[in-house]
This record gives sequence, structure tokens and C-alpha cells, in this order.
Amino acid sequence: MKNKFLNMLMIAFVAISIVSCDDDETTPPSNNGTTTYNSGSVGLNFENIAGSVFLDPTGATNYVNAAGETFSVTNFKYYVSNVKLIKDDGTKYEVPNSYFLIDANDTNSLIAELSNIPGGKYTGIEYMIGVDSARNVSGSQTGALDPVNGMFWSWNQGYIFMKLEGQSSASSNNSFVYHIGGFSGAYSALRTVSIDFTPSILIVDGGKREAEIHILTDVLEIFKNPNNISIANSSTIMGVGISSSNVANNYADMFSFDHIHNDPL
Amino acid sequence: MKVDLKYKLFLLLSFIVTIQACVPDVEPPVTKPLFYQPDGFPPTSGQLVNNPVTYYGFSLGKKLFYDPILSLDSTISCGSCHQQFAAFAHLDHKLSHGINDLEGTRNAPPLFNLAWHSNFFWDGGSSHIDMQPIGPITNPVEMNESLLNVLVKLRRSTYYPALFKKAFGSDSITTQAMTRALAQFMSSLISANSKYDQVKTGTATFTVDEQNGYTLFKSKCESCHKEPLMTDLNFRNNGLDLHFADAGRARITLQPSDSGKFKVPSLRNVAVTYPYMHDGRLNSLSKVIDHYRSGIIQSSTIDPLLTGGNMSITDAEKQQLLLFLNTLTDPAFLNDKRFSEK
Repeated sequence: MKNKFLNMLMIAFVAISIVSCDDDETTPPSNNGTTTYNSGSVGLNFENIAGSVFLDPTGATNYVNAAGETFSVTNFKYYVSNVKLIKDDGTKYEVPNSYFLIDANDTNSLIAELSNIPGGKYTGIEYMIGVDSARNVSGSQTGALDPVNGMFWSWNQGYIFMKLEGQSSASSNNSFVYHIGGFSGAYSALRTVSIDFTPSILIVDGGKREAEIHILTDVLEIFKNPNNISIANSSTIMGVGISSSNVANNYADMFSFDHIHNDPL
Repeated sequence: MKVDLKYKLFLLLSFIVTIQACVPDVEPPVTKPLFYQPDGFPPTSGQLVNNPVTYYGFSLGKKLFYDPILSLDSTISCGSCHQQFAAFAHLDHKLSHGINDLEGTRNAPPLFNLAWHSNFFWDGGSSHIDMQPIGPITNPVEMNESLLNVLVKLRRSTYYPALFKKAFGSDSITTQAMTRALAQFMSSLISANSKYDQVKTGTATFTVDEQNGYTLFKSKCESCHKEPLMTDLNFRNNGLDLHFADAGRARITLQPSDSGKFKVPSLRNVAVTYPYMHDGRLNSLSKVIDHYRSGIIQSSTIDPLLTGGNMSITDAEKQQLLLFLNTLTDPAFLNDKRFSEK
């Protein structure tokens, strides 16, 4: 009997622990019937993958693209900008001045810190891959947009939105280089990504909860859907044009939602 | 003893004052602003809105402009291919020269009145005066240097950090500060005091031949070489070729209809900026006029204003036109010590 009671207690305890882990829906402190949340920071985390495994950006690991070609990755960078968080009422909060250069070889760059986000519940996120046309033509920029980062073309001036470089036996010189950009016109490589968290919900309540969004970026998607890119046929794609635009159509869907960290602090 | 100390202090102070007076960074007379809006000029492109020209910003820009440290092997500066006596073009050089005697594919254009341009290069490939220098600095056949290396070298220098601090209030040497300083110097290269300008403001008069040349210019040239900048800043095909070795504007827009189009160059100071055309193929103004008299080639993208074929310009008219074009030379600009290397 005593044992049974203890077992029951254990089960209840474990159950409570489990429930308390899943606290996305926990009611925050209320004040006169209205719920208030503090503004706070949100960490937008990018985890670079190649299909089902984490991407090794050192060139030491081989992957296979949709064309069946073996390749490795030595450089993978992309701009994420114009971030908007979607509130649970459908309105959007545009994060001012949000420009991030994600570099697979720089772990510090993998978390884009969105600060001063109004408190509340969010169901999704939108952002641009690349740099909007205004910032391409507004003179010398700083931070992620500093041309010294090597993501700026010098003669047909404008930002390179995505760089993927690596080695592949499919290429005649054993390497491949994709530098994709173009901020205007028919061959613009700007793409907007829209990601839905639901059924998860992100609660921003500064100082009370952590708030992290984890997104997976799959390099294999750059080679497929809707355009199959073969390294043997196209080992170099650089500059603005139809080839770049085709790659952009592919990278438009390289992102997928993974999970949210939203535990109380 | 007390008096003696005071005297010593006085001497010491005088000495310090003397040393300071030797530091040659006295501001120039305020009567001649570095950047101004010449009478009759249209509004600027507005690209200096976040980067107003200051004396120290201009001075830093000038220092950078003439410093070969911007090139990979420290042999070439901006000033190497942009010479003041040639209105900051490269006199008698068809194509741009780079390190190791490498040659580019286009003629180094003259530099003046750049604040009225909203794009740069013969094909308009740069959309901002801040960013334009990144082209020649990183071009493998020009200065062939990386932006990062330039910054590293400038940071290592004994005097640049202080110059950046004076110009921008911080000794941190960044791309933005460097490019803004260059933009300040380049924007200050204003040419608006030629005889033509003096005639316009009533302080000089054309000779009869110059006036006839001006009348001819108004009827034959001015639709593209629009007054007072002497360029309409558009991209046009002026009938040089049937097929285009250099796609020109189409390199940027990717529109076949832009093939063979280049930015209309200003005719200001044109007498001192030879050779001419985007590839420097014509080495005299006489040959340029002859091109419009007898050499216009009709091609798929020929400018609509030239579809009528060659222009009828008599030999006498050509001489008058040349005399008028000479009135566009601005000796005050070509000799302005503020813009000189030394």
C-alpha cells in the first residue's frame, strides 16, 4: 500500500515535471485581469544542416546533392534581413534595422539577436534572404553590411546575398563557387521567407522567459526545388542573372522551423 | 628666484605655442567653401546628406586619394590614374593602368562635379559615391587590394588614426569612415569657373567664333551633353560599333537594349582629358567631331537622336566648335592647390 502510494506520488511528480516543461501556454502574471508581458530580446538561431545532419563547414565532410554529386562545404554565408515577428492577432512587428550575416564558419554569427521586441505572443516570423534594394544604394554601411565582410560586389555594386563554396569531384577543377545576389529587376535574388511556429507559440516576456527561435538551414535545398543545379554543369554561378535567380528560387525554401526555447527564467 | 621661475615658464609657454603654430593644419579661409552649389547648377544627387564636407574630412580624403597604400603593392594611388592637370582623368592613356602594368578595359574618366551624379563608372555599376572607390581598389587589374587589407594598413600607420579622429571624431578606421572621407574629397572637385561659366555669369564674353561654336553646340550636341553639367547623365550608344566588345550599361541591367550604351561624359574640361570614349579609342577632339561627321555606325541600340546618321558639320563649323569646347576648360580648377597632391 505504502509502496503503491509512493509509486503514485512518483508518477504524479514526473507528470507534473513534464507538464511544467511544456509551459508555452502557462498564464503569465495577470494584472487587473489583463495580461502584460515585458519587452525583451529574442535569439534567432540558425542551425545549418545538410539534409539530416549538421553541416560541417570545414570541408571535411562529404554530402550528396540532388544530382547525385558528392560535395563538401568550405564557406556558407547568407544575409537575413528585414525581420518581422507575427503576433498572435495577425499583426506584424517589424524589427528595426535588422540585418544579419550568418556565417557557418563563425559560431557567433549563428544567433541573430533581436532586441527590444514588444512583449506578447508570436506565432511566426518573416524575413528576407538578402539585403533590400534601399540599403544597396544608400552609401557606406556598417555592421553586418560593412563591405569589408566580403559580401559586396565591387563593379556591379551590390550585396552578395548568399555564398556557398566547396569542393566536389563533379567539377573539373574540383571546386564550386556560388555567389548569389541582385537587388532589383527581373533577376532579383531577394526572397522573403515566412515561417509558422504553430502549434508552438513564442512568448516574449523580458526578464521572465528565455525566447529563442531555432531555424534549420539546409544547404541541400540550394541544389533543388524548383531548379536542379548540377555542380558538373554549373560549378561557378556568380553575379546577377538568370542562374543566380534560379538558385535564389531554390534557397527561398532552405529554411524550416525547428523549435522554440521559451522556458521561464 | 620667483621671477626667474616665471620667466622660465614664460619661455616654455612661448616654445609650446611656437611648436603648435608649426603644425600645418590651419583651416583654409572661409571665403572659399570646399563644397558649394555653383550658380545655375541643378540640385545635387543628395548622396552627401549623411556626410557633409568638412575641412578635416576633405583633407583625409585627399590624403587617401593620393596614397598608394590603397593598392596591393603600394605602387598605385587613385591619383595615379586621375591627374589634376587632366581634370583627374589619365592623360594620354587609353585604358586604366593597374599594378604590375596591368591594363583595364576602360578609359579612366575625369573626376569633377560628382555630387551631381547618382551613379558611377562608364556603365553606372556603382550607385553611390561612397562605394565607388571599392571598384578600383579591389579590381585585380587596378589596385588589386582587399578592403580588409586597406583598413589593416591604415590602422597600422602612425598618422592615419589621428586623421580619422579629426575627421570623424573617432580614431577607429572603418570602411564607412574611409569611403566617406574619399567621397568628401571627390565631391569637392567642383569645376564651374571656365570661360563658358564666366560668360554665363556675365564676367566674360565669347569671341565671334566661340559664340558660333556655342550655337552649333546647342543645335548638335546639347541634347545629350546637357548644360550646365554638359552631360544629361544618361546612358547612350553614340554609334561607335556595330557589335559591342564591351556590353556597357547592359553589363549592369542585363537588358540587351542597353548593349553598347555608356554614360554620356561631361564636356567640361574636355580639351585636357584626351583620349576619348569609354575605351579611349579617339585621341583628339578633332577625331571625336569627325566621328559625328562621318563615323556614326547604326546598330541595334543606336541612340534615337543619332538614327538620322552622320551630322552635317562643315570644316569651318568644326573649328568653331573646337574653339567653343576650349572655353569649357577651367584653369582655376586644374590648378587649384587645395586639390593638389603636394
